[in-house]
Amino acid sequence: MSTSAKSSKTALPTSASSKASRGSRLYLLCVFLAPALLIYSVVVVYPMVDSAYLSLFRWDGISPTKLFVGLQNYLILFTQNDVFWIGLKNNAIWLVIALLLPTSIGLGFALVLNTRFRGSHLFRSIFYFPAVLSLAVVGLIWTWLYEPDLGLLNQVLGALGLKALERNWLADPGTAIYPVIVAATWNGVGLPMLLYLAGLQTIPVELHEAAKVEGAGPIRRFLYVTFPLLRETTLIVLAITAINALKAYDIVYAMTNGGPANQTQLLSTWMYFLTYNYNQVGLGTAIAVILFSLTIIFAIPYMRFMTRKT
Amino acid sequence: MSQALSKPAHFHRKWTKGALFYAALLLAALIWFTPVITLILTAVKDAGDFAVNGAFSVPKSIRWANFSEAWETGVKNYFWNSVIVTGCKVPIGIILESMAAFALTHMEFKWADRVFAYILIGLIVPIQMTLVPLTLLMNALNLIDTLTGLIILYIGFGIPFGVLVMRGFFRTVPTAIIEAARIDGASYFRIFFRIALPLAMPAVVSLCILDGVATWNEFILAQIFLRSDSNRTLPLGLVEFYTQFSTQYDQLAAAVLISVIPVVLVFVFFQRYFVRGMSGAVK
Repeated sequence: MSTSAKSSKTALPTSASSKASRGSRLYLLCVFLAPALLIYSVVVVYPMVDSAYLSLFRWDGISPTKLFVGLQNYLILFTQNDVFWIGLKNNAIWLVIALLLPTSIGLGFALVLNTRFRGSHLFRSIFYFPAVLSLAVVGLIWTWLYEPDLGLLNQVLGALGLKALERNWLADPGTAIYPVIVAATWNGVGLPMLLYLAGLQTIPVELHEAAKVEGAGPIRRFLYVTFPLLRETTLIVLAITAINALKAYDIVYAMTNGGPANQTQLLSTWMYFLTYNYNQVGLGTAIAVILFSLTIIFAIPYMRFMTRKT
Repeated sequence: MSQALSKPAHFHRKWTKGALFYAALLLAALIWFTPVITLILTAVKDAGDFAVNGAFSVPKSIRWANFSEAWETGVKNYFWNSVIVTGCKVPIGIILESMAAFALTHMEFKWADRVFAYILIGLIVPIQMTLVPLTLLMNALNLIDTLTGLIILYIGFGIPFGVLVMRGFFRTVPTAIIEAARIDGASYFRIFFRIALPLAMPAVVSLCILDGVATWNEFILAQIFLRSDSNRTLPLGLVEFYTQFSTQYDQLAAAVLISVIPVVLVFVFFQRYFVRGMSGAVK
């Protein structure tokens, strides 16, 4: 009985009914896709486009009239706004360190923890753990570690007889950005580690065995077997790390709030200051556009990879 | 011959190598965990002990009152706000994201790839790029300083990652299953709720956890769109708490610890899903 029902229905989607079913399919497609697409377009895409538009105006965010100034906001940022350059420099420093440190530390941890041994899961959890903390919390914890009198870092330096190295870490205008980046690195290692662990799982053990039999030592096995096979993972890791590095905001807000003397501003925090503290909406949105353009440079290979396998 | 000779020595060397390996790993883990240990020690110390001995010393006595005081000073409020926001955002978001991902993978249509690329843009947009227009929009809708408004924003910003993860999973569901159900006369709704979604449970759980933690930790949107203290979520509340009472380290550390505990519990019990979810997003 059921077979007959089946066969009668298989005959349905033929030319005669295709028009009606196409209509209902379109309706169904809308029901499934529209809610997500609508809320995403309203919350993310429309504001993004509108920001780019607003960056062409001089506006305080309150008055009903906006003055069209073309690309003048960008010109002001590049030629008259010193803090913008500090932000750009700090973003560059942050990006370079983020591409080097968390990635290689994550790879190191993953290589060590990829083999199963007693306690390997516990160690994985310990090394991954900082990644689940919010950057605001990470910022607070590290602010205490850097505290000049009671903070752990200066105490350890004192105990080691290195009192000369003690300092008020987050108050030194020339170097305050580095302790912030160190804190961010602590949080940033988990993701590359996780991705590399997943990547390492896909490498067949036989390859290593074969290389071993051929007489390759651990370093050569890493260089000639493991690393080439992790190329795809590395690409993803670098792209995600770069995108996240340019998104940095909360940790700076929590640790230094851009200070001392604006020396730890990033483009993201300076955008906030200009827009919400100084009512310079045009300059603020122009910074956002610049930040987005920088992100796109690193995101292109990532997006290519994501949309490739279809 | 050489094998027979070297066996005891080899065995011995292996043992010392193992011990050294563990010692190095333990030391690295200890250094890596120092910030967390410091946090815990600070949270259970009384203020006097902290002022004299600093953070990294064995507490003279455990002072649990730090936690209840922090809780009553405002953390309670922040905590429940975070629970409400996360509890609403995650389930609604996942339903919307899976339905969209299902449509993109199993309801063949010409524009599927373009729609997916359009959604992916959201993964790389810096939030700063949306703040000003969103402020105007939320203002017009009277949603500034409301948890409802924040939840709507979180759902919108969560769509790209959610669709990415769920699409990755649905692609592994064989079309034959869906086709067979279609031929049996099942509607797409039935197929989605009765076949696709149950099959996708592992991915749904992974996404719930990653998304739950991300929502729990979100800072910048909360900072911009929540104004009154009674509406603050945890990360924002803690930072403001810190700027107000920056000398009361004991209570602050206790407050931070309270905010971290739910994440730790999720992490301990659902650890494997972190790996699964992340690799799902990449594949």
